[in-house]
This record gives sequence, structure tokens and C-alpha cells, in this order.
Amino acid sequence: MVVNRTPWWLVAAPMALLLVFFVLPNALLLSTSFLKSEAQQLTSELTLENYGFLFGKSIYQWAFVRTFLVGACVGLLTVLLGYPLAYFLVRTKSRWKGLLIALSLAPLLASVVVRTYGWYIILNRFGVANDLFLNLGLISERIAFMPSTGAIIIGLAHALLPYTVLTIMGSLNGINPNLEQAAMSLGASRTRTFLHVVLPLSLPGVAGGFILAFSIAISAYATPAILGGPATQVMATAIYGFMTQLLDWSIGAALAVILILSSFLLLYAAARLGARQAAL
Amino acid sequence: MKRRELLKRGAALAVAAPYVITARSQETLIVNTQGGEYQELVERVVIRPFEKKFGVKVIHDATGTASQDYAKIRAARGAPGFDVAGLLTPPEVILGMKEGFLEKLTEREVPNLKYLWDKSWSVIPPGSGAPHTLQYAALVYNKEKVERPRSWADYWEPQKRYGDKIKGHVINYNPANLLSVYALIHAAQLGGGGVDNMEPAWSRLKAQKPYVGVVVTGSAEAVPHFENGQVWISPYWSGRSGYYIDRGLPFEMLIPQEGVIGLFDVACVPVGGKNKKLAYEFLNWRLDRDIQRQWALAYFTSPTRGDVELPARFAATQIVTREQMARTQFPDSDVIGARRKDWTLKWQEIMA
Repeated sequence: MVVNRTPWWLVAAPMALLLVFFVLPNALLLSTSFLKSEAQQLTSELTLENYGFLFGKSIYQWAFVRTFLVGACVGLLTVLLGYPLAYFLVRTKSRWKGLLIALSLAPLLASVVVRTYGWYIILNRFGVANDLFLNLGLISERIAFMPSTGAIIIGLAHALLPYTVLTIMGSLNGINPNLEQAAMSLGASRTRTFLHVVLPLSLPGVAGGFILAFSIAISAYATPAILGGPATQVMATAIYGFMTQLLDWSIGAALAVILILSSFLLLYAAARLGARQAAL
Repeated sequence: MKRRELLKRGAALAVAAPYVITARSQETLIVNTQGGEYQELVERVVIRPFEKKFGVKVIHDATGTASQDYAKIRAARGAPGFDVAGLLTPPEVILGMKEGFLEKLTEREVPNLKYLWDKSWSVIPPGSGAPHTLQYAALVYNKEKVERPRSWADYWEPQKRYGDKIKGHVINYNPANLLSVYALIHAAQLGGGGVDNMEPAWSRLKAQKPYVGVVVTGSAEAVPHFENGQVWISPYWSGRSGYYIDRGLPFEMLIPQEGVIGLFDVACVPVGGKNKKLAYEFLNWRLDRDIQRQWALAYFTSPTRGDVELPARFAATQIVTREQMARTQFPDSDVIGARRKDWTLKWQEIMA
């Protein structure tokens, strides 16, 4: 008889690490979010006021909405732009294939701050985009493309595109080419083969790419801070503001708890949906 | 002398003697200030000469703003990894003393404290730190683009003075930066308000918004916009303004007719610092008369002690006499700290 003993000691070290550096800090964050803060100082009085304050102010309601809107739009954009690129990179027979893959992932070599400042130069009121549109006669006076939610979405989509491309490429690479040949040998056109064979089989990669881009986008700080500025807040920039600028840690902690819980719930729902789709 | 007597005297000397470091000691001190142009200046004028005189090694941590540095001190419960918090502002110092994360200083540890302006101790609690730099929130403008402003109203209602050409060339700052708070206080004062009644400031902020082209938080973030010609008028710290104007920025700095609000930069010792003796010595060095003079001339700021002689032309733009000191406003930083969150929220609602 084979006894299936769990080698608990193998997971003890990572579990301890998680406990000390993930569970405990989050528990501390959660408890701080229920403490009252007076004149920037934490007190020991328990309260729900911090959550009431955040949910009661339209500026923070908008920050919640903007955060998840940015996440969804970035996820969608990276999938729409990344899928054709991933498909091309997987299927191309070019001898430059390796170089093309390296080039498409090259943005990862530059810091996200540097890439974001590139967009800053293009999108600001006196930037390249305004100069171009003015010269073409498309606009009569300069437009403030940033700070704005749109600018944040563009900047993050650009920064996160390589991640989605990599994820979708992994999925496309795993598809057996014989399946496509079989479909076409049975009379399916290229379009039909793609829509009925390739696309459904690559959906786990698409979902994975979307979730990856979404989850990084909703917690991103640098790009929203630069392209959104202090007046177009997302949750990460608002948390930073409360924690390090206003030194109001209870509200900062409450905001962080809301971000962690809501993103966890959304990702859990996406994973459940993915599992159900896979089962079908 | 008996052995016991010798020990007694030795102990008494050790207690009574000021914290003087001999030139032979090879200790290390970690000093936090900030980066940018400040880093090179403070290393050249203050830190390297300190190392040379005391034979010690200073590690310069040039990261963070005043509030970020205090957030580190608080998060580490007074042991942030640096021995000197070299660049805090009054709101953080007041909070630090309340929370017990900053050491209280006396003239025993920092003898040069006795030379400071008396007013220092009405801005921050007595002995809470070493105020080493005095500057003010000036009004700066691009002299190649607009005429010289006269009043804070020219910044807050720029269209009245400059017409539509000013659209997109005004900068505004998040109240997380004290510069913004001070400018808002001036806006409130223009409408008869002040720290206790900021309502007039909000109506002026709303009126100014259509003319604002750049919104930033940190003062350093504004510099590229001055340089590329996008921003024509701004409140700005007198020190940095003088520094950049001296290096060719086509701007001028002025004290508007309503006056200005002063700011003390303060060096403090976190309670969990590892090398407090040397930290106190560094604070004392920061307040040394000669260092104060050299620093004022290098960073275009005012000394924090009244006995420093400066060239007359330079002194005319600074706060160096009792009269100039009396004319400078120092709003209650305790009130600012307590209300800053509400002001930031209001600012965000208007500017969003």
C-alpha cells in the first residue's frame, strides 16, 4: 500500500515567508483601516468612519470607478492589439522571427517611467500631438490630452502590451497545427478555421493576458501619477497621497483594503468563469 | 587622587561635556536630505567640510520629500535608517514631537541653537529640531513672456492682468506640497480670509482653473515646465528660484505687495538613530555661522540666525533683518497639519 504523506516541511519555509511578509502586513493594514485618526495621528479608537469617508466622497467614488475602468480598458486594448501581433509572431516563417519577437518585447527593457515620459512629451498641451493636429488643421486651439483618464489608459496599454503578447503567444504555440489542417481539409476557410478552431483554443491565453494586464493596471502607480497628475486620481495614487503626503494612515489603509479586496474578488470571479468555460 | 574619586570626576565630566567628536574618530553618519540641485550643493557646502573637520564619514541619503521622509520615520517607529532627518518642514516636526519620534534638543547637545531667531520657536516647538534654512514662497514669472506681476491676485486671477494669452501657462500645485498651501492662504487673504477661513481661496481656485496648464505635486516637477517655456507665472520657493535664475532661467522672483509666507527647513534627530552624538554635532555644524553664510549664498536662502553678514544686494532679497522677519508671515503649522487633508480634498474636487 502506498501512503500519500504530505511533505509539509517542503512548504513550511514558503508558508512562513508568506505569513511574515504577506499575511501579517495585510492583517496590520486591515486593523489600521478601522482605527480613528485625529490630526494625522492614529488613535486606538475603532471606527468605520474611514470607509464612510471614502464611500461618501464623490472624488474617491470616481477614483474607484476610474481605477477599474482603466484596468478594463487596458486589458481590452492590450488583448485587441496584442492578439494579432502574437498570432503573427507565432505563425511567421521569417528567418527574422527571433529578432521580431525580441523587438516586440523590447519595451520591457526600458523603465516604465521612461516610457511614460515619452507619452508625456507626445500628449501634453504643448506636445507633439497638439503640434501635429494644429499643423494639419484638425484642431483650432490646443487641447489638454493630459492629465486625463485616456492618457493613463494609453500609457498603461503601451507599458503592458508585451505581457499580453507573451501570454497569448504561449497559448497559440500550444495549439496543435494538425487541428487547423484538419479543419481546412474538411472545407473550412481560413477565417472559419481561425474563428472556430484557433480562437476558441487560444481563449485561455487571451483571458490570462487580460487578467494580467488588468491586475497590473489597477495597482499601477507611476503611469497614473505622471499622465493623470494629482487631479486625476486612481486608487494607487490616492493611497500614496494619504500615506506619504497627508500622513493619514487610517484612510490610506482603508483605501488599500478596498483595492485589495475588490481586485481579489474580481480576479476570483474571472478565474471561476474561466474554470466554468474550460469545463464546458 | 583615589581611584573612586577619579571615576566620579570622570563620570561627571562625561555627563557635563558637550557632545564633541574628536578629529580622530572614524564614525559614520547617515544624513537624509533631498536630490536634484540640492544634493550637489549640500554635499559641497555642508557635508564634505563636516567630514573633513571631524574625520568622519557621512553617507548622504538624497531620497524623498519632507513628508515622505517623515512617513519613513513613522513606519520605522523612529528608526528609519538615517541618523539625521535633514530636511523636514514645520508640520512634520510638530507631528514628530507629538508622536515622540524625534529627539528634543537642548543647547547642551546643539550649542548653536542659542543663536537662532526667536521666531523659530513660535513656528516649531522649542528644541524640536535645528531650523537651518529660511526661505519663502515667492512669486516668479517669465520675464520674456509677461509683465512683472505686482500682487498675488495676478497669479490667482491671471486673465485680469494678462488676458487670454496666459491660458495654459499657469501652474498649480497639489496641497500635499506646502508651496500650494501657502499660495492658497494668500488666495484666501485676498478675499479677507486666511488659515481659519479658506473659502475665498476656493472661489479663486475655481476662477483660475481654466488658465491652468500644468498641475504638479512636487516643486522639482515644475522646473522642466519653467525651462521649456510652458509655465509663465508661479509661486515658488525663493531658494530654488534664485538658484535657477542664477543659472540662466529667464524668470524673475519678487515679493508681492501683500508679502510672503516664510518656511524653515529643519534638521531633526529620529529617536532610533544609531549615532546621535555625531548627529547632534552635524546639527550644530549646520547652524555654524560660517556654514550658514556659505549655505545662504549657495542656495539663495536666508540664514536662520541673525548675526550672519551677507552682501547688501543679496540680503535685499532675503529675510535677514528683524524688520524683514517681522514682515514675513508664519502661519500656524499645527493648524495647517490638521486641516491639510480637508484642503487637499477640496482642491481635488475643484481641480478634478
